[in-house]
Amino acid sequence: MSTAFDILVALGGLACAGIALVAGNRIGSVAAFVIMGFFVALAWVRLGAPDVALAEAAIGAGLTGALLLRSANRLGPVREAGVPIAVHGIAACLSLALAGGIVWAFATGTAEAVYPSLVAARVGESGVSNPVTAVLLNFRAWDTLLEVAVLVVALLLVSGLAPVRIAPAPPSELVLPFLRIVVPVAVLLAGHLLWKGATAPGGAFQAAALLTGGGLALALCGLLGAGRRTGHVLVLAGLGGLALFLAAALGAAILTGGLLDYPAGSAKVWIIAIESALTLSIAAMLVSLFLGPSEGVRDDR
Amino acid sequence: MTLALDLAGIALAAAGVAFLLLAALGVWRLPDTLCRLHALTKADTAGLALVAAGTTCLLPSAGGALSLVLCVVLVAISGATIGHLIGRAHQE
Repeated sequence: MSTAFDILVALGGLACAGIALVAGNRIGSVAAFVIMGFFVALAWVRLGAPDVALAEAAIGAGLTGALLLRSANRLGPVREAGVPIAVHGIAACLSLALAGGIVWAFATGTAEAVYPSLVAARVGESGVSNPVTAVLLNFRAWDTLLEVAVLVVALLLVSGLAPVRIAPAPPSELVLPFLRIVVPVAVLLAGHLLWKGATAPGGAFQAAALLTGGGLALALCGLLGAGRRTGHVLVLAGLGGLALFLAAALGAAILTGGLLDYPAGSAKVWIIAIESALTLSIAAMLVSLFLGPSEGVRDDR
Repeated sequence: MTLALDLAGIALAAAGVAFLLLAALGVWRLPDTLCRLHALTKADTAGLALVAAGTTCLLPSAGGALSLVLCVVLVAISGATIGHLIGRAHQE
């Protein structure tokens, strides 16, 4: 029974990927891509990785879909010139080779995975009991720091390009009551996910995605000040998370001698503080990426 | 008792799936935006609520029901609002 479900999920994901490639218009492609994201999230659930599933559904499908739709609107109509057949051929060969390599590695590999047992043995020292958070914010916090730095780079690039801000439609009478329910619930659930991240699936990225959803709902209705100042505050909040993470890394280095090696006993406090700052800053960055960081200075359409 | 609950859960969930299929059929076959919206917003919300009710019957404990109720309420209000917004945008 569950095998049938797994096969359906896999086929559904592949079918959506195919539709995204061959759909004649951008909106259709983006829609197929978003639905593929939900199939992938379901696949992660079935593989026993709810943290990744949450992140995939919220960021991979939801927010990336919103960003793609926004870009699809800004770009001109599809040009018919198309991609040469040779490029298609090369891409197909590379994909097949990669897929074949993965299948071969899984079919012939006999070695035990080393990581899970190592994490399980040391998770008690990390300050949190959710192994995923333990890896992301303690054992491999360095990687997470660099991921946030990547987001900051994206934000700076968008700032440099200065895209035109979305001009929100005047909110209709049904929108305000809707926002009064949805935005507080988004904030509440984000806080819940952030706090639960220490012991159960959840954490900064998932919480930030929820906050971003609330922020975008406000912004699209014109209720998140569209002025230059809001843009600056969002960019500063985005940079603030990275700055605080770096400060924590240096502080831990001074206290214990190891970069991001938290003082024994208080690791949980450090992790929660860093995650809280990251949640706000990632949400600010994602909202900025969608809206454009400040009021448009040039129209490049 | 458990058997009755299981049967009720499966029946409710199957009815919900039928509603969702009808919504999909409506979006596919109906002629214009407003008709499609009509099929989608109502049948979709009802289908999800039925699936959630069925799942609640199949849950081993009542604790998970709260999240399901939250899901249904959020989908219902966002579906109604977004249906309204799309309809308005279509009329303008």
